[in-house]
Amino acid sequence: MANDKNAGSGKLGTFGYNALALSIFILLWAVVSWISESLFLPTPWTVLKSFLDLCTYGDVEGINLGMHIFKSTLRIFAGFVAACILGIPLGILMGLYPRVYDSTKSVIEPIRFIPPVAWIPLVIVLLVGFSRYAFIIWLGAFFPIFIGTLLSVRSVNPTHIDVPRSFGAKRLYIIKKIVIPSTLPDIFTGMRVGMGIGWDCIMAAEMIGGENEGLGVMILKYAELIRIEDIMVGMIVIGAIGFLINEVFIFVERRVFKWKEAIVIS
Amino acid sequence: MERGDRDFLGGSMERELIDVDMSMKFDNLSVLEDIKFKVHENEFLVIVGPTGCGKTTLARLLGGLSKPSSGHVTIAGEDVNPKIHNVSFVFQEPSCIPWLTLWDDISMGLEIKGADPQSAETKTRIKEVIKLVGLDGFEEYFPKQISGGMKQRVAIARAYATKPDFLLMDEPFGHLDAQTRYLMQIEIMRIWEREKKTVAYITNNIEEAVYLATRIIVLSKLPARIKAEHSINLPRPRDLTGPDFLRIRAEITAQCEVVK
Amino acid sequence: MAGRKIKIEVRNLSKHFDDLIVLHQMDFDIYEGEFLCVVGPTGCGKTTFCNVVTGLLPITEGSITMGGEKIDFKKHNVSFVFQEPSCIPWRTIWDDVKIGLEIRKVPKNEINERVSAILDLTGLTEFKDFYPSQISAGMKQRVVIARAFVTEPDLLLMDEPFGQLDSSTRFYIENQLIKVWEKTKRTVIFVTHNLEEAVYLSERILVCTQKPTGIKEEVFVGLPHPRDITDPEFVKIRNRVTDLVKWWE
Repeated sequence: MANDKNAGSGKLGTFGYNALALSIFILLWAVVSWISESLFLPTPWTVLKSFLDLCTYGDVEGINLGMHIFKSTLRIFAGFVAACILGIPLGILMGLYPRVYDSTKSVIEPIRFIPPVAWIPLVIVLLVGFSRYAFIIWLGAFFPIFIGTLLSVRSVNPTHIDVPRSFGAKRLYIIKKIVIPSTLPDIFTGMRVGMGIGWDCIMAAEMIGGENEGLGVMILKYAELIRIEDIMVGMIVIGAIGFLINEVFIFVERRVFKWKEAIVIS
Repeated sequence: MERGDRDFLGGSMERELIDVDMSMKFDNLSVLEDIKFKVHENEFLVIVGPTGCGKTTLARLLGGLSKPSSGHVTIAGEDVNPKIHNVSFVFQEPSCIPWLTLWDDISMGLEIKGADPQSAETKTRIKEVIKLVGLDGFEEYFPKQISGGMKQRVAIARAYATKPDFLLMDEPFGHLDAQTRYLMQIEIMRIWEREKKTVAYITNNIEEAVYLATRIIVLSKLPARIKAEHSINLPRPRDLTGPDFLRIRAEITAQCEVVK
Repeated sequence: MAGRKIKIEVRNLSKHFDDLIVLHQMDFDIYEGEFLCVVGPTGCGKTTFCNVVTGLLPITEGSITMGGEKIDFKKHNVSFVFQEPSCIPWRTIWDDVKIGLEIRKVPKNEINERVSAILDLTGLTEFKDFYPSQISAGMKQRVVIARAFVTEPDLLLMDEPFGQLDSSTRFYIENQLIKVWEKTKRTVIFVTHNLEEAVYLSERILVCTQKPTGIKEEVFVGLPHPRDITDPEFVKIRNRVTDLVKWWE
């Protein structure tokens, strides 16, 4: 009741607690790496130094960290947008006509369960350059978006469909005015998940891309040289950007879908 | 089929609007059997029966949302069809569309029927109907901001907005608590007296039925048949604890079969 | 109530949630074996009241004692029946009813005896091996009643248990409830919005006010069971309670 108003804020607020958690994590990391004195576990400040070096001087080939970030982000967005363009309409279509989905399940579902990584040999042979990356990421992002959209269409509240039907509305009206707005939040969630998986696939995609720019590529370069601190920079940057994009999605979701009773964050 | 012990008012005087003569099966399960009755213009017909006896199925058939397996439900000889006839439905479940403001929700029926949402005429009608159900001031609210009782008022406003020939209400107050329910019953009566429409009202609450109805049809349990019909001629507003009211109520309660 | 022992004493009971005073200085007794109804306008804190009396929520001020001691779940035996169907889906009726006894580690043959008796009393014996999905809503509530009574509770709290049932089923199950109550002589607190139901069931009705909730009045219903809703005496009492509650004013 009166207590719920400030739920979760406590003395420091969520932001404060997160900063605290992060600081403790870095502290533990520092302690462990200092104690172990291993070549393979760099300290936080070593990683920080590498990060700054990579930003200013670039990697072993002189390619700047900023450029790596740019290239990877570009590829992911390409794959993601392609996944949306194909996944959302297809999901809506199959959601509205469940028989189509049910009769093509034997083709769609097995493909869904082939991990993007397993496609790599085929992709190397069949595609070149940018399309290699885009395809792998597209594979990762497509299915969450497609299935999420499909399921959402199937689970539209039947009463919301009955209302216009009882007034004699045409099918198109119902799709435009009821189905689409109703499924939009779930489509958005599917997109968010799809984007996340797209980021998961960046390593796999860039391993076979053949270009020398990109965060995944960068990590691989340093993997050969066993320069752990630079590898960690790559990992952290990938993780951080993924986190940021996710938070942006959630922020937009909260704003746009104000009418929803509760947003489920996953 | 038994008849009530009163004269059947409205049979010859009011025009017959809907003719029902049908049965309904789902796969092999017979839900409604030999349902035969007529709905007269401007009457407040209440259909009662035990829970799960197919009342909602009957409501949907009357409103043209489903087709009977055999027989017909017709208005002037034509099968009831929401695309042709002006029928409004108030559902049992909360039916407010979550992403629409109350204003937009209420105008949905008019929009579908071809009215221009921007025209002065439409706007006047919507304002009228909002006032009718007592929701002035809430036009820009979203469903999540209002109570259950208010949501049903929106549904009622939306149903009335199109000036329907026939209004169907399927246990509209079923999900409300007893007190809100009492208030809404009084409201429905007030609204109905203001804008007299032909209403078919489904409920499992016999007190509510006797309070509201000009005529009551009692359904048996599955497979549902018409068990009895009563004309209620008590003056309005009706006294829930008046001796006549209680007597009729007890009579109908005895007829309603308990699903054990 | 002449000749009845006092089961629960409530003195100067207040309940606050920070600044919000919900219950305010309530003073009354609950008698052994009585059927007490609590009614009042929506939002008047009836549920808070019940949660506090049964010890689910701590009190801010005042005292509630049973036999001189504060109500404690480990010591005292309190049963609940809520409005939402609460039959456990994967248990047969027999297993569902015996669950309270199972938890209290009652010996097996005693469980069998008591469960048989209560199922007999509620007319559920032939359905003992059925699952909730196979029985009607009315029957489910009967199961819940059987489950609540079988543990021979010191106090039984029922919060709008029949809200979801239709008229006829409601009357039927109300009669069943009275039958079980008369036989087992348990102390029952029954909360409801439905004033007719309150007059139909109880010996005594407590009418609560709006927040800050206090007791407006207590109404005695001295009619024998089963009661007749058309009886002028019944109607008189019902109208009286309706006037007292008058939520729409």
